[in-house]
Amino acid sequence: MSIAISEVKTQELYYPEIAEITAVKRFTDKEKWFDIKLPGGRSLGHRPGQFVQVSLFGAGEAPISITSSPTKKGNFELCVREVGMLTKLLHELEVGSTIGIRGPFGKGFDVESFKGKDILIIGGGIGIVPLRSLINYVIDNRNDYGRLIILYGAKNPNELLFPDELKQWEKNKDIEYHVTVDQGTPEWKGNTGVITTLIPGLDLDLPNTITAVVGPPIMYKFVLMSLKTKRIPDENIYLSLERRMKCGVGKCGHCQINHSYVCQDGPVYHYPELKNLQEAI
Amino acid sequence: MKKYQLNNEQLPSFIDHLKKQGTVFAPHKKGDASFSFKKVEDPNTVILDYNRTLNSIKKYFLPPREQLLSFSKRDNSFQKGFIEKEKKIFLGVHSYDMKAVLKLDYNFTQGNPEENYLLHRKNSIFVGVSFTPDEFHFSQSVGIPVHNTEGFDIYLEKNTDGYTVKIITEKGEKLIDGFDTLGKAKDIATNYTQFKNKLKYNYNRLPEVFEQSWNAAVWEEISKKCVGCGTCNLVCPTCYCFDVEDNLDLSLQTGTRDRSWDGCMLNSFAAVAGGENFRKTLAERQRHRVYRKFKYISDITGEPWCVGCGRCTAYCTAGISIVEIVNQLCDIYEQKYLNRPAMAGLNAERL
Repeated sequence: MSIAISEVKTQELYYPEIAEITAVKRFTDKEKWFDIKLPGGRSLGHRPGQFVQVSLFGAGEAPISITSSPTKKGNFELCVREVGMLTKLLHELEVGSTIGIRGPFGKGFDVESFKGKDILIIGGGIGIVPLRSLINYVIDNRNDYGRLIILYGAKNPNELLFPDELKQWEKNKDIEYHVTVDQGTPEWKGNTGVITTLIPGLDLDLPNTITAVVGPPIMYKFVLMSLKTKRIPDENIYLSLERRMKCGVGKCGHCQINHSYVCQDGPVYHYPELKNLQEAI
Repeated sequence: MKKYQLNNEQLPSFIDHLKKQGTVFAPHKKGDASFSFKKVEDPNTVILDYNRTLNSIKKYFLPPREQLLSFSKRDNSFQKGFIEKEKKIFLGVHSYDMKAVLKLDYNFTQGNPEENYLLHRKNSIFVGVSFTPDEFHFSQSVGIPVHNTEGFDIYLEKNTDGYTVKIITEKGEKLIDGFDTLGKAKDIATNYTQFKNKLKYNYNRLPEVFEQSWNAAVWEEISKKCVGCGTCNLVCPTCYCFDVEDNLDLSLQTGTRDRSWDGCMLNSFAAVAGGENFRKTLAERQRHRVYRKFKYISDITGEPWCVGCGRCTAYCTAGISIVEIVNQLCDIYEQKYLNRPAMAGLNAERL
């Protein structure tokens, strides 16, 4: 194949926009929440499940999931675990600091095709971060969707994120919220055990239930087995994958799984597609 | 197609003619046994009769290191990178390296057409030259004969006195405009350029082999030899993966964001912060590299993404041969799935 190079319209792909941190909250020892304002206060225009490349000059860029729902206009939100140099430096930033933003990138959850369906959310650890975008989207468009069932698992009660919102979800009669921790504390009155322990007890309208799963790699294997025993069809399952990403635009190669670039075709995958990708889970 | 004769003694003046029209890059001797594309200063140092250059001309379109932007931490601002648009004339390119550029064109224009690559790439003219396949070349097996002129503006085919100059495109026609000493093309029969190195299957049958090769023992076997140095990635003319990294000046206040070649054979390539590595073993990484050359992109484009230049094999620090890998996979495929004995000695021409 030959491509007429002189006729190809080029794109500037690697220049970030300078955005401002307008609020910061610490949730746990490791996780902080940031409210981000783009130039002119415009909305990011993302879908639940998409990510941005966060840029700190001197440290580089890292792919971070967007945790706010697109129904929130203006500023968007990130929730970041401190795991490397960039995220450590990000945690040191205060209100008024600026960071670089590229994106949004990737495919998010196909919220249009979920309309009219029951939504089962399964989040493990910081997997709740991108799922919160979907949860709030469904809450803000409540009439478009059926039941909203949230399963959330964390290592221990101190690692639960978005504590204020969790209380609201618990109180909200329109949400079926279940939380579990691997290890409780003396004060913990809720469920203990891994997240899969919450699945058998669910009463689901099977063909009508969409399942969105996000969590650490190890969780997927066991959650998928549990969903299988519940006879949830593969076509109703969506998962989001974490990978190393340098460009976000399908060039640098780091996020590639077989023929698929996670930054382009993911991070949210329809499970039937994911099943055909070796090395994915 | 217009044809002329360029005798060996006319070559320096031909190169001078090209130099008047743009920056000329051509193969030069590098050390005792290697060759390298370099900007031509003295036409007499250009060598058109060579087996392969250490690196392909991809280094001109995707530089080994390139500044994407420069920044200041003082006010958190940045300035865009700058790419000079010069007219580049590449002289003495082999057919497989030309094909590799066309493949990079695909990778950098599909989805999100990348400005950096295209700014380097636009305004390029290619003058190809024939070559004699050595023990590492196998481009014929991946559909690229020696005299494949796709992508070239002019093609030089070696003959006893010099070269038959074939004008392929209008750009090529313009390029020789004003060079009046070319002779009438001689009717010299082209030698059949026989390849010593071959894949057992023609490339159009490789997708079915790779469909069945994911769990082959070959990956584990070669990982015992492989040291994971990434040389194969660096020298591959169709490898284009890159890393992006910020580099601070001594002031620690200003710096540059640079991209540089990366390689999927390196341990850190698929590792994320927090310790997870999605291709931990050398076997997985070798498989990924070879699948990228023969399956992943090929399934979409119908072409192998290996051009048979032989570099990854010639320069492998551990003596791993990509032809041997593919041929072993073909053997296993034969035995296991077609229930026939391995076809010792069979070659692409017969299949």
